[in-house]
Amino acid sequence: MFNNEGGFLTTSVDAVVNWARSNSLMPMPMGLACCAIEMMGFAGPKYDVARFGSEAMRFSPRQADLMLVAGWCSYKMAHAVRRVWDQMADPKWCIAMGACASTGGMHRCYGVGQGIDNFLPVDVYVPGCPPRPEAVIHALMAIQEKIRNEYSVTMDEREKDAPMRLERGDIVSASGEVIRHVAEAH
Amino acid sequence: MTDPGQEKQTLKFHFTPRQALPGELDEKNPLAKNSTIQPEVIEALGERFGDTITGVSEYASEHTVFVERSAIVDVCRHLKEEMGYTYLSEMGTIDRFTEENRFEVYYSLVNMRTQKRLRIKVRVDEEEPVVPSVIGVFRSANWHEREAWDMMGIRFDGHPDLRRIFMPEDFEYHPARKEFPTLGIPGSLPLPPQVSDGELTLDPFPRAHGSLPED
Repeated sequence: MFNNEGGFLTTSVDAVVNWARSNSLMPMPMGLACCAIEMMGFAGPKYDVARFGSEAMRFSPRQADLMLVAGWCSYKMAHAVRRVWDQMADPKWCIAMGACASTGGMHRCYGVGQGIDNFLPVDVYVPGCPPRPEAVIHALMAIQEKIRNEYSVTMDEREKDAPMRLERGDIVSASGEVIRHVAEAH
Repeated sequence: MTDPGQEKQTLKFHFTPRQALPGELDEKNPLAKNSTIQPEVIEALGERFGDTITGVSEYASEHTVFVERSAIVDVCRHLKEEMGYTYLSEMGTIDRFTEENRFEVYYSLVNMRTQKRLRIKVRVDEEEPVVPSVIGVFRSANWHEREAWDMMGIRFDGHPDLRRIFMPEDFEYHPARKEFPTLGIPGSLPLPPQVSDGELTLDPFPRAHGSLPED
């Protein structure tokens, strides 16, 4: 990679961009209940999420790119959460932290949404009631892994000439054939 | 021999109601608290208000005074101003789910000086669930009455701002009533749109029905 004269390395743009994005995720702390206490532990010095570049919690959605929904989300709050999500700039990711955010958990009742995936595209679900901070760090590492393995810049260039635009839920077979996901029928 | 399955069953509670222990009501016993037993207060209330006190019950060493709803404000004012019950520690509603006097509004009053507690109850019918507001006596009743209206649908005459306190303002039901289903009524509480500029989602479980929310 390095030559003797100048010192440069060759890589792909995607790799550089993904490396930068994955190591500087700024979480939007959507702390709604007791999971938020564990989220503070996750951000604090003992578990020290600064090792992963995510110590800067951004309370402004314009500056955040990872929504960390910690706790149960009522139907009334869901509209605020979705609005904050819409205000976040692309690209953005979402973690459902804890049983309540993932499925409604023990709050199986009229006032609490049965999982935030009813109105947000969730990338990682963290089980636990509440999850340990290590589990949240694991979720963050899963998000980082996801970012490092996606097309971030080159996808835009490829899409211009692509015969069929890939959409969420599509599956590409080994021969390059695009299979529309069954969920689209609904 | 009778079939044990046909015998009349009585409800069993984990807490067994008991009479006061010997010495518990003794004035000279320094350890006796009996903070919820106060026959002298109930006697005085009966003399002052007469028939508007519809009954007194004792359960688990606690006295409860039942009051006509027309007299609740006067009873509260009398207890506060004359008898020292200056603190409304809590107030709430019970759905008894009976034909008559379905709803019950209870007020827990505390006398800070003597460290005594008194519970007052008002019973109302389902057809006319209206109780006079006690905000004029206890200002802390404001949000409690709003909660009672929101959850149980009991209106409070004279409340300055009787809005819902928990549920959205356009919600049509009172969810703490016994007939309200646990998981709610589909379509009554919309979820946000599935896309950033879409319509509200009326299905409460869109993900289970195959919908994938988008960025």
